[in-house]
Amino acid sequence: MGRWLLARLGRAAVAAWLIASLVFIGSRLVGGGPEQLALSDATDLSRPTGGGRTLARQQAAEQAVRHRLGLDLPLFYFSRTARPPVQWQWHGPANQYHRWAAGLLRGDLGYSYRDGQPVGTLLGQAVAYSLPLTGSAALLAVGLALGLGLYLAPGPAGWRRRLLLGLLAGWQVTPLFLLALGLLLLFANPDFLNILPGSGQAPEAASSVELVGYWLARSALPLLSLVLAVLPELTLPLAALLRHELKAGYATTARAKGLTAAQVLRRHALPNALLPLVTTLTDLLPTLVAGTVVVEVLFGLPGGGRLLAEAAAAHDYPVVVAAVLLSAAARLLGLVVADVLYFLADPRLRPSA
Amino acid sequence: MRYFWLGSLLVLLACACSTTPAPQAFAPVRLRWARDPETLDPLALPNQSAVDANNLLHLALLQIDYQRNTYAPALAQALPRAQLIGDSLTLLAYELREAAAWDSGQPVLATDVDFTLKLMHCPGLPNENSRAQFGFIREVHIDPANPHRFSLLCRSQGQEIVNTSGDFSVLPEASLDPEHTLRSFSLAALQDWPANRPPAPAVAALVHRYRQANVARHPNNIPGCGPYRLADWETNRQLRFRHKINWWGDNVQPTPFVLQARPRELIYSVLPDDAAAALALRRHELDVYPQVPARIFQQLQASPAAQQDFVFSTAPSYDILTVGFNTQRPALHDKRTRLALSHLLDPAGLMAATQLGQGRRTVGLLRPDNPFYNDSLPLPTYAPAQATALLRQAGWQRSADGQWRQPGGPPLALTLRYRATETNFATVALQLRAAAAQLGISITLLPSDNSVVTTSLETGDFDLYVRLVKSSPFGVNFMPILHTAAIGTGNFPRFGRPDTDRLLAAISTEGDLPRKRRLLRSFQVLMREEMPLLPLFFMPYRLAASRRLQHVVASGIKPGYAAMALSWPASPTPAGTP
Repeated sequence: MGRWLLARLGRAAVAAWLIASLVFIGSRLVGGGPEQLALSDATDLSRPTGGGRTLARQQAAEQAVRHRLGLDLPLFYFSRTARPPVQWQWHGPANQYHRWAAGLLRGDLGYSYRDGQPVGTLLGQAVAYSLPLTGSAALLAVGLALGLGLYLAPGPAGWRRRLLLGLLAGWQVTPLFLLALGLLLLFANPDFLNILPGSGQAPEAASSVELVGYWLARSALPLLSLVLAVLPELTLPLAALLRHELKAGYATTARAKGLTAAQVLRRHALPNALLPLVTTLTDLLPTLVAGTVVVEVLFGLPGGGRLLAEAAAAHDYPVVVAAVLLSAAARLLGLVVADVLYFLADPRLRPSA
Repeated sequence: MRYFWLGSLLVLLACACSTTPAPQAFAPVRLRWARDPETLDPLALPNQSAVDANNLLHLALLQIDYQRNTYAPALAQALPRAQLIGDSLTLLAYELREAAAWDSGQPVLATDVDFTLKLMHCPGLPNENSRAQFGFIREVHIDPANPHRFSLLCRSQGQEIVNTSGDFSVLPEASLDPEHTLRSFSLAALQDWPANRPPAPAVAALVHRYRQANVARHPNNIPGCGPYRLADWETNRQLRFRHKINWWGDNVQPTPFVLQARPRELIYSVLPDDAAAALALRRHELDVYPQVPARIFQQLQASPAAQQDFVFSTAPSYDILTVGFNTQRPALHDKRTRLALSHLLDPAGLMAATQLGQGRRTVGLLRPDNPFYNDSLPLPTYAPAQATALLRQAGWQRSADGQWRQPGGPPLALTLRYRATETNFATVALQLRAAAAQLGISITLLPSDNSVVTTSLETGDFDLYVRLVKSSPFGVNFMPILHTAAIGTGNFPRFGRPDTDRLLAAISTEGDLPRKRRLLRSFQVLMREEMPLLPLFFMPYRLAASRRLQHVVASGIKPGYAAMALSWPASPTPAGTP
């Protein structure tokens, strides 16, 4: 089991590296972005440049930006000439990829093109906001999904269950930005319910109780948005699985032995229905990462999703590559954890079995 | 006990959400930014938030007076005296205010100006923009008899360089270069330093020191001469600026508008979403919301509660919504074809649809209140019948399938590029496509990422485009967007001939007002006849601010208001008081 785990982690690390390498090379092949964003708009007449910006001046300025950012180096160890006759050139270690890879092995993720700050620091600050938000959203959603799944398992009989099923189905088809905006307009709107803050600053010179209150209130809407976004995809399959399990022979036997419907559901059907839920849980990460982009932009939170989205829009490649590497690593780690959970839940699946 | 925790939670939430009392005179003013400044390096300033923040921390020789929409002396004692030298040089004589001082108490001197201009040309710093913008200043002559006096020798002539020659943040030489190592280099020598030659050791050492100071993130690491210090910066969330105690500008009497810094504290909240920002304003988490989108502005104005709490103002900006034509494309080479297509655009309808009718229509690239505006020209209008006639004059014939062809040529089918994130651009594109389709002209819309659009426009890979042209009241130099030397950079229509180049050059340097007026009027006529681009209208800037705030100055120049002029009344007035 230990050897298997090590091999699995090694494969995950290699896969994460490959994904990040592809993003690294692909992003740099686009070209033009960082230079354009570093230089002001050539058509901006509000800041005259004494004679205007000629093509030669523009090219010189772009070359200066490329040189400062290290983009004037060859991209990879070898390259092919763009025009015929086709020739292959070897550049040795003086290339952008080698510098990035060597830096990464030393724990150096590079520097942001936008502000020159270490990418590791930027990512750390952003993840410090996102991780508690997504972590608590995931925990809350799983807890709620278990409760709701058990409640809905007996079938859609009764208006409460039908209403809940309808709501869950509605949330599932609603885009997250609409859901979050709806919550904002519902609970942070002076024209309706003005009970939760959508943005704003922590009160100055506040006591620790007030600060806790502020952050609880401040995180309520983003948290609720994320929970509602992932709740249907956890709850609806779980309820269906539980219903399926209740029809199995062992459930009938358990009932024949005198167990109540609730006991059968919790003790016998739930452990069997949980296995597929583990797979759904590992798929939560991409949904939550995508969700944090929307939620952090809407609620003005400085988290990792927003950092990634803004870095991508600004062609800030070092930040984009590092964020992709982190997301890929987390996703692959999630898959390894799912495998381990499978083995723990079902001994027949263990490698030694 | 069962409901204890729920009750406690509700009490906590109620505490956190309780309404704030009316602000006191020294309360912070809270403003909205749509994006984080990202860097506060005065040499870089990549976005408007960074420019706004920089204006609080540092001062320039001349700064914009938003009350009059003119440049006014800030660090300089007065506007510079201009002396023309030959037919291509200008000498601008400046004198610094004696009172101007750094945080350390040392006076701001001409050597600081000289140092700053040289720093703009040190390789390895994010100064490429400053280098391009202020490269026209070739020499700094410091008066040996008076350390506050100096002259700038500029490589160009024209009113706009007089204004912009002083529009850069002056940095302290004493703290960044205490050994005065840069004084041994002339400004021209640094400007002309070959790109492939390594920098001099003294320059490399200075660059290293500057990077070590990390002013991009910690601007307080160098002394400034502006009225505020950065108190706190939570990336992508908020920046807090606190007024300096005993700032030198407070003692200048009478205090000119550009040196007025009333708020004790300014808090900028970074809220990228417009709807969330509007709700934050309504909840009094913001006091000023600039650049309000049209629909949100309309909704706020329609709310009686919001009308009680906020004042709303609109000022026409200097940003022109334009549609450009690639004049080098065979289908658009004939000006009559371009004119025909321009008649398919409906400026009045588009202004009503996208800007609630606010903004200002125009005949050309000058605003109607500009003294050089050619009011003899009619405003462009939607006229499909005229478009049909012009197409026929240009040799296009409508074939049986409804398409337009020139003899033996392909059908008239065009592509239109614009930035995908701009809804105004999309509306213009859709209106043009619909109008063209009625006439049998196919227009394919190509919305894309900004860098893709810019690269396509620079390389000529387009037929039409929609874009904002940012102008200002400070000059009338159209060479960056219409001169042949700018083809491949800012001249996206790829327009120009020797005679139009001469006209543009003459406009940019002409000092005699009647002659300049004649030149500009004929330039506007030429633009209408040649139609390389069609200016649709000037966009409006909309501002919503707390009704309790005083000295709210709305301007058509970015950011659209004067943050440092704002203040709270000495004793709070009840909400709703006009």
